Amino acid sequence: MFLAAFTSSSPSEVSPDATLLSRLLQKDVSAFEQLYDRHSRLVYGLVLRILQQASTSEEVVQDVFLQLWRNADQYDSSRGPFVPWLCTMARNRALDHLRLKSERQRRREDIPVELPSAVVAPEYEKALDEKRRAERVRALMASLTPQQKKAIELAYFEGLSHSEIAATLKEPLGTVKSWIRNGLLRLKEGLQATT
Amino acid sequence: MKNCDQFRELIEPYALGALDPEDRAALQAHLATGCADCAKAVEEARWLVSQLAYAAPEAAPSDMLKGRLMQTVRAEAQSQAKPHVLPGKSAIPFWLWAGVAALLVFSIYSAWNARRLNNEIRQANERAAALIHEREKTEQELALAKREAMILMDPNSVKIALKSGDAQGPQLEAKWHSQLGVVVMGENIPMPSPHHVLQLWFIPKKAGQMPMPSMMIRPDASGKFVLLVSNPPESMDATKALAISEEPEGGSAWPSNPPRYSGGVS
Repeated sequence: MFLAAFTSSSPSEVSPDATLLSRLLQKDVSAFEQLYDRHSRLVYGLVLRILQQASTSEEVVQDVFLQLWRNADQYDSSRGPFVPWLCTMARNRALDHLRLKSERQRRREDIPVELPSAVVAPEYEKALDEKRRAERVRALMASLTPQQKKAIELAYFEGLSHSEIAATLKEPLGTVKSWIRNGLLRLKEGLQATT
Repeated sequence: MKNCDQFRELIEPYALGALDPEDRAALQAHLATGCADCAKAVEEARWLVSQLAYAAPEAAPSDMLKGRLMQTVRAEAQSQAKPHVLPGKSAIPFWLWAGVAALLVFSIYSAWNARRLNNEIRQANERAAALIHEREKTEQELALAKREAMILMDPNSVKIALKSGDAQGPQLEAKWHSQLGVVVMGENIPMPSPHHVLQLWFIPKKAGQMPMPSMMIRPDASGKFVLLVSNPPESMDATKALAISEEPEGGSAWPSNPPRYSGGVS
């Protein structure tokens, strides 16, 4: 069921995103605009954090939302919530840009937007609103050790692998692996504890 | 599930995209075995990683970005709304397909018909050219026949008897008109030897001057011929006699055989 995936804490309550996405499938321009207004700050903030350049970031955000408009039916609503899926698509797209070297390769037509697989919410997922969720994640990230936080940020925002992070930080590979894994587990525990 | 423990520590970094190729390949190989526990753990890890998006400070894109997006989206929505084609139904109506098919058939017929007409026109042109050629030939033959008749009938023409070297042989006759030319004719003429023809010669009066070669004579199956020489190589006054000899096919520049028929020009 299309709407089932968008239910919040109460199964009978339909989330605003679910309603908007169902209208988006009917090519409702107004629904698209509302989805953009609801999530463009989060998506743009993420892409800008990765690319560090406003103009390129806006190009990527434009591609992401156009992809959403054109291929809304490809989003498997039964397998996970919308916002994590949207952010995963935006991150993948931004990292693609970051990895491409030449200006020619950076042209949009050369880079197909890959739709990510669904991001399935775990059982411990709590229905927080966007603002509270952002506050919670930032607080949890701030609670990590500086090394854990730095290693996770290099992986998430810059797309670096274990080996690349070890080389960047000039730290042993095993140490970097521990920082990342322990940091993510701590983040997970913190989100599980959030009520 | 056995062997899962060694992959557990790879799952979160895998969802983060931080695994080096060897570790990533090992985990993917394990997932490919259908390990449901690890697959579920990967899905949860992906959600966990997706939450890191909130760690980025929010930022507002420019109003121009929204303007561009909405302009594109509205244009696409309008263009998609216009055709309004029912699902599964062709956007082109049947009558249009029928029209296209009829046009195609008509085009093929027109091309075939044009080609047929072109062939007919070409054949008609060829027939007309042949008729014109035939007419010109007839007119030419008629003109020659007229000329021959005038030479033969004109009292000013000089009659020349060409006698055979063989007493039993046929006698030929020629008439020479000083302006219209010479007509030589004969009947029952024996055929020349194979690969040979009969050739007319004009024998000049001037001593020591070589006979002047003229036209070939080709009698028909009954040995009859009429030859018109419109432009004799020599004038009547300067010509002593006419002679006909048998010469190799194609004629000769000077006589290679004695004359079979000859007659003096008086």
